[in-house]
Amino acid sequence: MTESKVLTGGGLLFEVLQEHGVQHVFGYPGGAIMPIYDALYHSDVQHFLCRHEQGAAFSAVGYARAAGKVGVCLATSGPGATNLITGLADALADSIPVVAITGQVPTAAMGSDAFQEIDIFGLSLACTKHSFQVTDINELEKVLYQAFEIALEGRHGPVLVDIPKDVQLAEVTERLDKLSHLKNKVKLPLADISKALDLLTHAKQPMLYVGGGVGMANAIEEVRDFADKTGMPSVSTLKGLGAINPDNENYLGMLGMHGTKAANIAVQQSDLLVVVGARFDDRVTGKLEEFAPNAKVIHFDIDTAEINKRREADAAILGDLKGNLPLLTMALEISPWQEKLQQMKNDFGWRYDHPGENIFAPAVLKMVSDLMPNNTCVTTDVGQHQMWAAQHMSFDDPSNFLTSAGMGTMGFGLPAAIGAQISRPHDTVIAVSGDGSIMMNVQELATIKRYQVPVKIVLIDNAKLGMVRQWQDLFFDGRLSETDLADNPDFVMLSQAFDIKSKMISKKSEVQAAIEEMLDHDGPYLLRVKIDAKENVWPLVPPNTANDKMMESV
Amino acid sequence: MSTANLNKYQLIIMADDKQVVLERILQVTRYRGFLINGMNAEVNTGNNVATITMTVSSDRPISLLIDQINKLIDIKGVKVDNSAVKTKQQSA
Repeated sequence: MTESKVLTGGGLLFEVLQEHGVQHVFGYPGGAIMPIYDALYHSDVQHFLCRHEQGAAFSAVGYARAAGKVGVCLATSGPGATNLITGLADALADSIPVVAITGQVPTAAMGSDAFQEIDIFGLSLACTKHSFQVTDINELEKVLYQAFEIALEGRHGPVLVDIPKDVQLAEVTERLDKLSHLKNKVKLPLADISKALDLLTHAKQPMLYVGGGVGMANAIEEVRDFADKTGMPSVSTLKGLGAINPDNENYLGMLGMHGTKAANIAVQQSDLLVVVGARFDDRVTGKLEEFAPNAKVIHFDIDTAEINKRREADAAILGDLKGNLPLLTMALEISPWQEKLQQMKNDFGWRYDHPGENIFAPAVLKMVSDLMPNNTCVTTDVGQHQMWAAQHMSFDDPSNFLTSAGMGTMGFGLPAAIGAQISRPHDTVIAVSGDGSIMMNVQELATIKRYQVPVKIVLIDNAKLGMVRQWQDLFFDGRLSETDLADNPDFVMLSQAFDIKSKMISKKSEVQAAIEEMLDHDGPYLLRVKIDAKENVWPLVPPNTANDKMMESV
Repeated sequence: MSTANLNKYQLIIMADDKQVVLERILQVTRYRGFLINGMNAEVNTGNNVATITMTVSSDRPISLLIDQINKLIDIKGVKVDNSAVKTKQQSA
């Protein structure tokens, strides 16, 4: 007779993960999470050992965003848990479904300032959608189910589950037959459909303002259908890029601080904004009081708290965008407005005829975009390269452009690319980074080496914290305080130390062949692109300025 | 900080008596720009529902705070007790 194996709290965790379709998790072991890692040893869930818990959190975010699934990360108590916080804050700001599991000191030791004890439950309040601390093994299964449900319910977000070591070790005596679901908290007041229809039919200069909520609502088809049938000119936020087909003749690109001139002028001149899954972020609106001053607003959102938060809606339509937007999809007669904006789009198009031999970063990223295979997923870090990628690369789906939009977290790009590549092993994944950002999570090159993750890294290197340097030049009288990175390591040598093929280019004539070599390489590759340290991101709407008062050069 | 020119509101919050629900309400209230002038919290042990009465003041609209508290998972409902509202206009 064989003795049946005891199911512990740690074992239950992996059973519940598998019941939710989780095949991959990202983490780092430590003392207070050892029973969970012991259970992992016998589990079919594949674990990726990252080299810092922040890397694990960002890989989980990248995994979730690229695949449209919940990302899962694990960390031990104390410093392991606190290292997750930046990743969780990033996931909260960008509404990404992540479940973070933290080990905790045993319940008897909690509150005693034990070794590696921190109140991560308390710390989680400001950086998660919800959090739990499980002090009774009989609660664990219900809590884990609720964590997944909350992460995906309504507006997505990160959920943390803190599990003391004794609960991880405790025997599970009974599995739950039926799990109670959360009450549906999404209230659906009478949507202002008739008001919205009235606004729509009377608008002469309407604009469609598309945000990250479109991809998360799985409403790309509905939004494109709306844009096509109404013929309404459209603009996108950073996180909404990819939702509108970039080839749509009425699509004007990104709006906001580094948006296109045509997008910002069009929004300022509009008489109606149809806002879908966007939240009037300050980087989008510029000076809020002067944003689209003559426009009425129809606001579609899943989150009640976003309605009227920064701009009052004339018609608010709360709930599922996928179901609601078709209610307003109709043909509009706005051809003079369309023609005016198409002309503006043409007049203000990007130029890549940069003089001299130095490499022009926008042209490099445009070429990467033109040469990369279909369905390539691009991640970025934060800074000048991020804005150049948003301006000059084209994406046909929001899940193909992963960038830290709300939190603006340097160090996001490399681990997010690892997560994206693991979720989509057959697609090309490119991390566009900067020489400042890549050092924030450079240890994840070891994760790439360990698992031979074939991520391509385009490192835009100006030996500066370029965006801060740009602002110091423009707004702080050129006092370049702590933004020089001329003593960076040799990134080619650094990559080679991690068995990652690498090359450096510094002349325009080298660009195309280098990009092709990178894309043709089977394994991971780092392409270091040296650019002029004085290049700026244009256009730029200065802080607290209306979006049509943009700077285009110094 | 002077609170003389701020609008004052009394909120009645019904919540499931779950872990740290009071901390969550306090954190959201502070973060969204409201000062807490006073509060009372009681739990009905029969149905495990907590009733929190809280007086807050701010120059921001109270709807902003109500929407954010309502988003918390354990909250059953939030309403303004109009009978207790005191605005700067009324007190001026």
